[in-house]
Amino acid sequence: MNIHAPKNEPLLVMTRQFSAPREVVWKVMTEPKLVQRWYGGHGFSNPRCEMDVRPGGRWSHLMRTPDGSEFPAEFVFLEVVPPERLVWRSADFETSSGAHCNVMTVTLTEGRAGTTEWRLVVRFKTLDDREAAGAMGFTTVLSQGCERVEELSLTLTVSPGETETASLSPSL
Amino acid sequence: MTDALSQTFAALADPTRRALLARLSKRVESVGELARPFDMSLAAVSKHLQVLERAGLVSRSKDAQWRVCQLEPKPLREVDGWLDAYRRFWDRSLDEMAVVIATLHPPAGKPAPKRKKRKS
Repeated sequence: MNIHAPKNEPLLVMTRQFSAPREVVWKVMTEPKLVQRWYGGHGFSNPRCEMDVRPGGRWSHLMRTPDGSEFPAEFVFLEVVPPERLVWRSADFETSSGAHCNVMTVTLTEGRAGTTEWRLVVRFKTLDDREAAGAMGFTTVLSQGCERVEELSLTLTVSPGETETASLSPSL
Repeated sequence: MTDALSQTFAALADPTRRALLARLSKRVESVGELARPFDMSLAAVSKHLQVLERAGLVSRSKDAQWRVCQLEPKPLREVDGWLDAYRRFWDRSLDEMAVVIATLHPPAGKPAPKRKKRKS
């Protein structure tokens, strides 16, 4: 996966290739029973995933980390264009502020030979919110106790100058 | 690596100190409260807190009556954790998404990965 943080815009951009047509990727992103199998990654579970996949529809989610901590989340879908574009944001986006208030846009583009490029753009309200999101995420990582400091130090190989448009792309 | 960063990493290298930070990421606490779940003396916990304090990861209020410890997120930001946390979450999720995709759409020429098929 590639991740990119533009210097002057409160965005994070992530991309990944899948070797399946985008109809399949779409299904995996929008059917709750399938979302429950991947959201959070290996070792995580998702006891609740209720999705009403249409503009204005809710996505009510509960994620459980390997150590048993639970993270509820409420989203609203804004745009639903199968199988190419899915946009959602935090349910309290308009009334609240802070790092969790962001708009997520996934675009699926057909690649060669039945592959799909998955692209996620996370738009925060401000640059500060983006950085605070990371600081919070980092402490969550700490609390899970499953991360190693050596792995963290890998990020330091990116010099401060480069982090402005950091492109960390572990080979996958 | 700058001295400040080395200090941050040295402070983070210990699992007890990471656990203390994790506690403080949820709320401010007194040393006594912090020490309770750990199987070590108050003095030992204090020592760990001093290391965290020197690295600028924790501050202690000067209120003599109720001295509480507080997480200082700035050094964590400097290790670029914010970007890393996002990368990790989505890396893990997308790896798992690829597994689910492979069960629905096995790569050509390869048998479908062995996984219990759900009837839905």
